[in-house]
Amino acid sequence: MTKRIPRLGIGGPVGSGKSMLIEKIVPVLAAKGYCISIISNDVISKEDADRMRKNLATERGLMPENLVIGIATGGCPHTAIREDPSINISVIEEMEEKHQEIDMIIIESGGDNITTTFSPSLADYTIYIIDVAGGDKYPRKGGLGIESCDLLVINKIDLAPNVGADLKVMQNDAVKIRKEKPHVFVNCKDNTGIDNVSEHIIRDLLFDSIPKIHEIKNPKES
Amino acid sequence: MSIEDMHNDLAMMQLSDSFFPTGLYANSNGLEIIFQNNKKITEIEIIQIIQTQLKQQVCPADLIVMINALKFANLKEFEKILEIDEKINSMKNIKETRDASRRSGIQLAKCVNEFLNDEILEKYIAFCKKGIISGAYCVSFGLCASALKLNSQKASLMFLYGFITSIVGAASRMGIIDHIQSQKIIHKLKPVITQMVTENLDKSTKDIWQFAPHFEILQMHHEKIDSKMFIT
Repeated sequence: MTKRIPRLGIGGPVGSGKSMLIEKIVPVLAAKGYCISIISNDVISKEDADRMRKNLATERGLMPENLVIGIATGGCPHTAIREDPSINISVIEEMEEKHQEIDMIIIESGGDNITTTFSPSLADYTIYIIDVAGGDKYPRKGGLGIESCDLLVINKIDLAPNVGADLKVMQNDAVKIRKEKPHVFVNCKDNTGIDNVSEHIIRDLLFDSIPKIHEIKNPKES
Repeated sequence: MSIEDMHNDLAMMQLSDSFFPTGLYANSNGLEIIFQNNKKITEIEIIQIIQTQLKQQVCPADLIVMINALKFANLKEFEKILEIDEKINSMKNIKETRDASRRSGIQLAKCVNEFLNDEILEKYIAFCKKGIISGAYCVSFGLCASALKLNSQKASLMFLYGFITSIVGAASRMGIIDHIQSQKIIHKLKPVITQMVTENLDKSTKDIWQFAPHFEILQMHHEKIDSKMFIT
């Protein structure tokens, strides 16, 4: 029987840095031996998927090219990951059937609003990413995405002084609105906080499991 | 109306509702590429596009397959279901159309089987998983209609209604028409739906055909474009 591969859902508004976050965490996870697949739900094109395929697979060889897949969502990425995730699930089931060597599947939702959440049938662990340039009111405004995700990532912290955003305010509001749930400040451009995000994923989604490539084979099989 | 009739109508509503998770909302059935080639599409042209597809592709092929799949499921003739699935899959010349049909079909069957535990659906899903059959949407729809104890007339109405609303919904999301025009188009197409259902209800698998070369070429172009909102 085909085993379910752990699935990480990443959502967030347009331009918040979802694809960039993926491009930063995949090398960290690949260096530890984890085999990753990416499914990118895009609003109007497969540009994000093409870029990630080029940057992570073609140029750096961190993953096979066929493990990066772009999905057109009829302009409704929120529907494709929440109310009707059937196309995503169908693609994932095909991946699980053919590639049991994969340790984790990342499902990126194209640019969307603050109420975006993933169906539990689709993702086992979710990250919602916002950016400082949207103003320090962002975490306070809440919304299902910010409130319910497993990990809130606040990106582009280097821009805070330029847009008059107070990181301390964002920090306090994130703690207040998310109660016990974690948040991480990152700057994807210079890798600040990327290790922290990766650690959360390895611990809370992969449960510190060893990469499949390192799994010791049964002596009877060798 | 008896309780059974009411259950029947509710099943019809559930399966034809756009909220039902089959991924159809992500299909424009060729409308997106027509829109990309010609930015001005009128309400009348959308009706003509839908009518042509209904008459040349959907009704003589997918609808007849769906009706017969339902019939074979009622008779528990699984071998014939396999045959018809293979036949319709081989008639879908465009890969993205074939893949979209297969993915929606399998998910539809799985979803209905989750709340019905139907013997035929169970077997069909198992064969799809093994890659023995494709899981074409129209076949899966017929099996689900059978499992929900719907007759072929009601199933046909739902099937064509779902096809029309997916195109009209795509037109609305692309900004070609507004929400009022969408409903007007659906209303205007009701006589076409009833005519098509009446004409095809008693057709057998020997009557299956399709001929829509222009649409197929457009769909081939859609397959190649980089920037798109829709799967088909």
